[in-house]
Amino acid sequence: MANNPTNDSAVSMTKWQLNGQEVENHAGMTIMEAAKEHGIEIPCFCYHPGLSIAGNCRICMVESNRSHKPVISCSERIAEGLEIETDSEVAVDARNSVMEFQLINHPLDCPVCDKSGECVLQDHSYAHGPDRSRFVEDKNIRHTKELGPDISIWGNRCIVCTRCVRFCDEISGTSELCIVERGDRSVVDVFPEIPIDNQLAGNTVDICPVGALISHDFKYEARVWNMDRIDSVCGGCSRGCNIEVETLDGFVKRLIPRENLDVNDWWMCDEGRYGWRHLYADDRITQATRDGAEQTDSAATDALEELLSESGPVAFLIDPFLTCEELHLVQGLAASRPGSKVGGWLPADGTAASFPSGFQISAAKYPNRSGAEQVFGDQVFGDDAKQLQKSLLSNGFDTVIAFCGGHQSTGPGDSWTQALANTATRIVFSVMNGPWLEGASLVLPATAPIEKEGTWINEDGRLQRTRSCWNPGTDPFAVELVRLQALQHALGLRGRSLSAAGVFRELAAANTAFSGHNHSDLGSPGLLLSERPAAVASDGGTE
Amino acid sequence: MTFRKIFTQHIAEADCHTLEFYQRNGGYKQAREALNGQDPDDLIEQVKAANLRGRGGAGFPTGVKWSFVPKSTDKPKYLVVNADESEPGTFKDRVIMEKNPHLLLEGILICCKAVAIETAYIYIRGEFVFATRRLQQAIDEAYQAGIFGNDSLGSGLKIDVTLHRGAGAYICGEETGMLTSLEGDRGQPKLKPPFPAIEGAFGCPTVVNNVETLANLPYILEIGAEAYRAIGPEKCPGPKLFCISGHVENPGTFELPMGIPLRTLIDDHAGGVWKGRKLKAVIPGGSSAHVLTADECGVAMDIESLAAAGTMLGSAGIIVMDETTCMVDALVNIMRFYHHESCGQCTPCREGTGWLEKIVHRIAHGEGRMEDLDLVLEVCDRMVGKTICALADAAAFPAQSIVTKFQDDFVAAIQNGGSPAWKRRHPSAVGGAASHG
Repeated sequence: MANNPTNDSAVSMTKWQLNGQEVENHAGMTIMEAAKEHGIEIPCFCYHPGLSIAGNCRICMVESNRSHKPVISCSERIAEGLEIETDSEVAVDARNSVMEFQLINHPLDCPVCDKSGECVLQDHSYAHGPDRSRFVEDKNIRHTKELGPDISIWGNRCIVCTRCVRFCDEISGTSELCIVERGDRSVVDVFPEIPIDNQLAGNTVDICPVGALISHDFKYEARVWNMDRIDSVCGGCSRGCNIEVETLDGFVKRLIPRENLDVNDWWMCDEGRYGWRHLYADDRITQATRDGAEQTDSAATDALEELLSESGPVAFLIDPFLTCEELHLVQGLAASRPGSKVGGWLPADGTAASFPSGFQISAAKYPNRSGAEQVFGDQVFGDDAKQLQKSLLSNGFDTVIAFCGGHQSTGPGDSWTQALANTATRIVFSVMNGPWLEGASLVLPATAPIEKEGTWINEDGRLQRTRSCWNPGTDPFAVELVRLQALQHALGLRGRSLSAAGVFRELAAANTAFSGHNHSDLGSPGLLLSERPAAVASDGGTE
Repeated sequence: MTFRKIFTQHIAEADCHTLEFYQRNGGYKQAREALNGQDPDDLIEQVKAANLRGRGGAGFPTGVKWSFVPKSTDKPKYLVVNADESEPGTFKDRVIMEKNPHLLLEGILICCKAVAIETAYIYIRGEFVFATRRLQQAIDEAYQAGIFGNDSLGSGLKIDVTLHRGAGAYICGEETGMLTSLEGDRGQPKLKPPFPAIEGAFGCPTVVNNVETLANLPYILEIGAEAYRAIGPEKCPGPKLFCISGHVENPGTFELPMGIPLRTLIDDHAGGVWKGRKLKAVIPGGSSAHVLTADECGVAMDIESLAAAGTMLGSAGIIVMDETTCMVDALVNIMRFYHHESCGQCTPCREGTGWLEKIVHRIAHGEGRMEDLDLVLEVCDRMVGKTICALADAAAFPAQSIVTKFQDDFVAAIQNGGSPAWKRRHPSAVGGAASHG
């Protein structure tokens, strides 16, 4: 809660002057941070809130009454009596000077540069740059080369802000990058034979203010202004890093991290970043099949109803990829069929990692174990699962509904595959094709993590909203949220279908662990499950 | 009082660099007294009273600098001796280190006592191979004689000194660039504040002093602050090493009282402008200083007088240019240096130094345009005072003053298809050079 100044009377305030106005900020803030609180955005290249201050780009220079030279606002701190001008002649000239210098050797290759459209240099050039160049000399040439398996440097575009170098020193702690050469020959490079190949390397491309660092995965894939963006959450592990999913014509092109100081700061790992190609893999299940025959969406839902209306008690095998909303719907179905049992399967653990900056990668390669445990109890992946498997193996159920999310080629694993195969009527929701689908009565396509609309609870107990990367109305198949509600309707369990937010309202009303929460209060950053939104916290529930 | 040389008195003698010779001539007497019994604050007060100004270029009062170091700190404190003498035209510290290394070591001891420092580093320019050898020899001798070590000069104080070689970067002569290089990082200046006195080498309080500055200390203790202040001008007193190079009959390093007139220095000590030619221009304080025309050379060589003349004493590296010098070529040379040596950290310097060299180079090669003269001055304006360290200023100052004061040379090069030297080398290109814009 470092950023929450509530009830912190110990923080002293500093009075200073910004553009002739008396203003007040917390003592010790930099001019740049403090000015931002008053709605004045000072441009920057080398400054990044997650990195140490380098003070090298000089674009953030402002005029100060304490110095005969302009000062850099990223590093200078506010003080009593300080008078800062951000738009005086001195400040404007300093800014324009830096822009002119930045541009003299910068290539005019915006039309073929991947950064174009989200380039800080381009933005500042429109705002502060000259409209023509006084530079008639030859531009400098610097190297273009691969720095690692996923990243290349376009040296000519590099403005030597050292954000990427500081990232590798301070955040990943791997220090692969350095600046070589001096003066206007300076450029980012790696040491011979030591490529940049750390688990967080992709972030260097995001924080590059220009198109110097280029991601091989995204190179020439899309112009950024043509893409649609949606705030989402990475389902790659139980950290639940906040991300933006960017799509072009409905196809995912890139995942980038989204700031959340309580979860992932400004970063995400490469495993999550590049872990979306399976969405378009050949063995992706996108079509429902009944006993091997392809079904339309509505026929598949009818089949589901038909199979279930004839059944007695049903075994439900859930997975830790389902959203809390989907889990709630499963619970409703299970409750309506007396004698039903619910258990869950977990993918095998991967490798955990933690970094000097505090950034963590979880070994649990799935997003919502906590949510499933909140809905079905903390033994849903433990004793409940063991019992379920046992009774399936001893032919205890005629009907099973299994959820096989995730993109692992092993699916729910051999023992579950075997247990499922023991059941006469097998209904399987699956993202990928695999042996666990062999002989299934009904196979239904399932959504992968970034295609889901709903909430997950990460390993810290933080309830976060994830949003579907599909454009509204273009779902390639009926998603679980829709299909399960249609089924409930057909079985007479529900009146009308609701959005994810509506289903969540039902969950919050039914389950005390969720009570008080709702989608809109979660917003983009999410909330701890234990931390109720202020408006509802009449019992003083904020710890 | 007649002027007594303290740095170069004995440099003609064969064994002047040895400990034996140094001690025979009264060496380490002041340090011995300082280490055994003198109050550190008294030492700082004496240096303040003597008005000793730093000899590295900025001229900051040494005693005041020392007093910025926190007295009570749980961190170690360091002295880092700036021996990275790399300002073009400067070769004074080298003389001390090669010929009188124990004088520097004695100064180090006195500083360490005054500021309660146990570890001193000498950051020596990598190209100074001979000076490195001489200085290391002197350090070894001093350790053997118990002058450094755990019981320095029998005082019970632990004072160590380590010689560290640079790897050939001008920027490592800038104090914070030197500190980053010493720490093992890429030699780039650091943001200030924090200043080295608070957070310097390895994040600890650090005194950074120039070689010549420290070499003044034994003499100040010997003759007292008052007598020292009587040498040269009151505000900037003391003996001073002046380096004269360029078009003089007798170039070299001269030890003279601060404040000697530049013209006297050139004519009486350096044998005057060579070959009987006339004086055209003088750079008084290393290539980073504003250039002086022949008419301006009556100025006294001390910090205040040169500042009043619009230039600076800097490192006292005096470069003399005779009437045959083409100032366009001179500036190309200087600009090539700064372009090569800019560390590349701050945008205005990284890009500006290269731009300046390219423009001036183009003028010298007969492709100049009249508007380039204004452009040079505007680029300089955009560089000065906008960077972490002063390298951008150092590059801009000579460009500003040479283009302004010797505009005729530039106009001639633009109108006549290049500088005279370039035209001599490229006779066929004369008048036929393609022009820009």
